[in-house]
Amino acid sequence: MAPLKNLETEYPIIDSNFQNFCASHGIFSVEDFLIHDLYMLAAFAEQNVSSERLKEGITQILSIIDDMHQPWLNGMELLEDAKRNKHFLPTGIQGVDLLLGGGIRVGQLTELVGPSASGKTQVCLQTASNVARNYMMLYLDTGNSFSPQRIAYFLGKTNELASAQAKNQILQKVMSNILCHSVFDIFAMFDVLHQLESNLRCQERGGGCRIRLLIVDSISLLIAPVLGGTSTRGRALMASAGYLLKKLAHQHNLAVLVINHTVGSEGGTSKPALGDSWKSIPHSRLLLSCDRGSNVYNVSILKHPSMCLAVSTLRYLSRALFCIYLCPFYIRLLGRLQGLLFRTCPYRFAGDEKNIEKMELFHE
Amino acid sequence: MGSKAWLVEDESAREMLDRVLTERPFLLLPPLHRVPLRVGNIVEIVGPSPSAKTHILIQAAITCILPRQWKGVNYGGLGHLAMFLDLDCRFDISRFSDLLNHRIMEAANGSSSEVDCQIKESEAQNATTKPYNEELFASCMRRFLYIRCYDSSEFLATLKTLHYRLQKERETHGVNVHVLLIDSIGAFHWIDRGSSSFSLEGDTRKSLHLQSVTETVVQEIRKLLLVHPMLVMATKAAVLGNRYSMNDSKRNYRTWSAKDNLHSRNVTSSDQQVPYREYMPAVWQSLITHRILVRTTDADFVNGEHQNVSTYLSEWLLPPLNSVDKFIVRDTGVFVLS
Repeated sequence: MAPLKNLETEYPIIDSNFQNFCASHGIFSVEDFLIHDLYMLAAFAEQNVSSERLKEGITQILSIIDDMHQPWLNGMELLEDAKRNKHFLPTGIQGVDLLLGGGIRVGQLTELVGPSASGKTQVCLQTASNVARNYMMLYLDTGNSFSPQRIAYFLGKTNELASAQAKNQILQKVMSNILCHSVFDIFAMFDVLHQLESNLRCQERGGGCRIRLLIVDSISLLIAPVLGGTSTRGRALMASAGYLLKKLAHQHNLAVLVINHTVGSEGGTSKPALGDSWKSIPHSRLLLSCDRGSNVYNVSILKHPSMCLAVSTLRYLSRALFCIYLCPFYIRLLGRLQGLLFRTCPYRFAGDEKNIEKMELFHE
Repeated sequence: MGSKAWLVEDESAREMLDRVLTERPFLLLPPLHRVPLRVGNIVEIVGPSPSAKTHILIQAAITCILPRQWKGVNYGGLGHLAMFLDLDCRFDISRFSDLLNHRIMEAANGSSSEVDCQIKESEAQNATTKPYNEELFASCMRRFLYIRCYDSSEFLATLKTLHYRLQKERETHGVNVHVLLIDSIGAFHWIDRGSSSFSLEGDTRKSLHLQSVTETVVQEIRKLLLVHPMLVMATKAAVLGNRYSMNDSKRNYRTWSAKDNLHSRNVTSSDQQVPYREYMPAVWQSLITHRILVRTTDADFVNGEHQNVSTYLSEWLLPPLNSVDKFIVRDTGVFVLS
């Protein structure tokens, strides 16, 4: 909200006469022009002595306002940009990749919802290990759930046939490509994201290895404490966070993956947390659930820009695809809102293609 | 003779009607086909998320940008420009281009079942989906104008400069903009409400909060429609009320009612009459000339093998018609079932 007089050096037409005229109508900065009627202002300027200069000043302000919005694009330009920049980042988990048509889409905000202990962090870690082979990525960790040992384990699993030296090289590369930040409240996340935005803008001119994936595990832990109550500030923060993530995704060609948990709703079912205002912010929403009795992991689409399907579920009936193995001493404290202690259970996590026995599309 | 000259008629009423109906035709867009729409109408599409609202806008945009006739094939479009203001920032251009491509194929081949077979054949032959008719596709895509707004200031800046942009596009393309699509109008609602506590000193200075932003938006749209008559369609995400027995609404009513009276129309105490929770200020509600409510149902529609698509219901609230239409979204666009 810089005052008008700061523009005087760059645009000499906005002189003190113009500033006084604007001040008499309650306009002190360019943002104030946005909520005033410019035609009325021009009519008032007509009655003034130096009407021509004032009207030129108004026209100059209009051209400054023209720079304040995003550029207009036509359909072909959009499509070109989508083809060139907005490709898919494979997660390395076959079920998720198949369901999403290739992987997490660059330029979009994908949300992973699931009850506690349904494998959300495991999906994140596997995606991180897969993407970090080729690109850099940023992992925002809110609950101390980031585990480099787990990433090393995933890399080992998928590179079983490589030599020890090659394995080590890949491990080094992946580990150096993952940037992990711990954030424990929403303002810290805003800090990190604004810093990232300015870094990316500088890098655009300089080139170099750029970040392609941003994971926030989990965004619900950051937003839920500020939501609720009678204040609207929490929802405003949540909406701003969502828009900042979408802006980063689109303008700097990142894929953004956020984690959300579930809460109970009427009727005993569960629904994603953060309420209805958050519902329309992510591009795609995936629901994860784990059926511990049969070691089967389900992933369903709740929302997707290209699919108007009813909850489409890919259920893997084989033992191997999608069961999560956790080291016996890996205990995780989950979302303080749910207050559950995650117990170690023998699950197996494997991404091998040869173990797919049967795949069926169910619709619920 | 000189004073009588202005009494000479320009055209008869019939000629005027013919002219107006060709220049400003009625649009019957499914699923809004029950009420013919024309320029100057402002339609609001309300519904919970997700309920195919953006698909309805895309349908309108495609109908607008397709030509009426091209190389002997009748496409049934208007051949005008369409402007899309993406406030949700969730628009997927690949989905849009797929729908456009399918519409072109369908029109060129006559029926949609043939199109499905052809698509399967062509997909079997080559993995990349090339547009069916590249030249027509490119010319249509160029008539689709798109802009994203990440906050209210950008939205207001877009609206303020829209007049000059419309003039410029008219000169470049030679045709007018016929539809202005806004997705979705309540996108910055919470952000603007949250910023009202940052109001500055005194009453003389207006700050960028919800009421002033909405008033300015309404004012700009009104002025724009005087000079550039367009059909305006805006989507709005809303929480459905008790009439449709959504689980959350009861809780929301209790927490919101105390704070919302300033900004929204006073809702009557009997919730049964209100189909959804209105949160846009009264000044926006007075701008709307048409309103339709869409929502999803639990029923599934079997669309070919291995594909169950969700059915949506649409109901006109303004003008209030007592009928409910069912529709699905296919590859060729919105398809009305009943």
